[in-house]
Amino acid sequence: MGRFTNVGRDLAGVVGLAALSVLVGLAINHFSSQPLSMVYQSPQERLQAQLAELVAAPPFESFPADTIDLNQFRRVVEDRSALIFDARSSFYYGQGHVPGAMNLSRDHFARDYLRLRSTLEKAKDHPIVVYCSGGACHDSKMVAQALVSLGFDQVRIFAGGWDVWTAAGLPANKG
Amino acid sequence: MRVLSSANRRWLDLALRLALGAAFVYAGALKISDSLQFADNIASFQILPITLVNPFALSLPVFEILAGLLLITGFLGRPASLGILIISGIFVAAIVSALARGLTIDCGCFGTSEPSRARMWFDLGRDAVLLIAAVAAYSFQRTRSVPRSEVADA
Repeated sequence: MGRFTNVGRDLAGVVGLAALSVLVGLAINHFSSQPLSMVYQSPQERLQAQLAELVAAPPFESFPADTIDLNQFRRVVEDRSALIFDARSSFYYGQGHVPGAMNLSRDHFARDYLRLRSTLEKAKDHPIVVYCSGGACHDSKMVAQALVSLGFDQVRIFAGGWDVWTAAGLPANKG
Repeated sequence: MRVLSSANRRWLDLALRLALGAAFVYAGALKISDSLQFADNIASFQILPITLVNPFALSLPVFEILAGLLLITGFLGRPASLGILIISGIFVAAIVSALARGLTIDCGCFGTSEPSRARMWFDLGRDAVLLIAAVAAYSFQRTRSVPRSEVADA
């Protein structure tokens, strides 16, 4: 009997620790420079919100994205015939990216867009290719959609992404 | 039956407390430094209702750090080790559930990585080891400070 009572006492301690963690977690968030809202927003919803802040963007709707394969992408990189954007987070971009690619991350789209604004706004009717980590990632599609919403009309996706690029032993830049 | 001498048990107890405590303080610190990413990790499991994702993402790292520190110091070691046991069990169950549902996600357990099934199996193995260590740590904590009532019952 006493054994169960003591487990009960330990469980009460765990509940107390959990309650304290909730309070401390909310307090840290309250004083954070970038607090989380209490209601979760998916990456798609955040990107929509960022876009809405950035410009009075048209409704953010899905579109059938044009994709290119490795050979086509390789030619684009070699010929520098399009602007190339890496939609992964700055951390992965820093670890390695396609030569000539600029980081326009899905995570911080508005911030990166503002940083690249002068380049981007001169390229409204230029070919653009966006990639992310690989076949299962959605970041390139979301960034491409955002660019189309902002009036860029020659946006394509390299669906194979970083995984296919590196698997083919092609060159990478760091930093 | 006592397999270990009391001196060995003390050393094993100390080693377990330090290793588990440090692992959870480290994991909590990584998560607290990027709550948004951790919220995305939690949401990708598709287990919690959306309204609980952010409160959980803000509270769990603090819980890990507090429980880890308590375990290292030995102060309130019993609830701390039980807490670590419970959350390790939750992590294992969540990854098993995600694997069973065919999801390819990043658990965010120790910082972020690219989502992959192979990585999920690795995470499951590591969390299973942590769970076993937590069971052992709680068991040591219970026998280390056996209350009088329990001694009387035995």
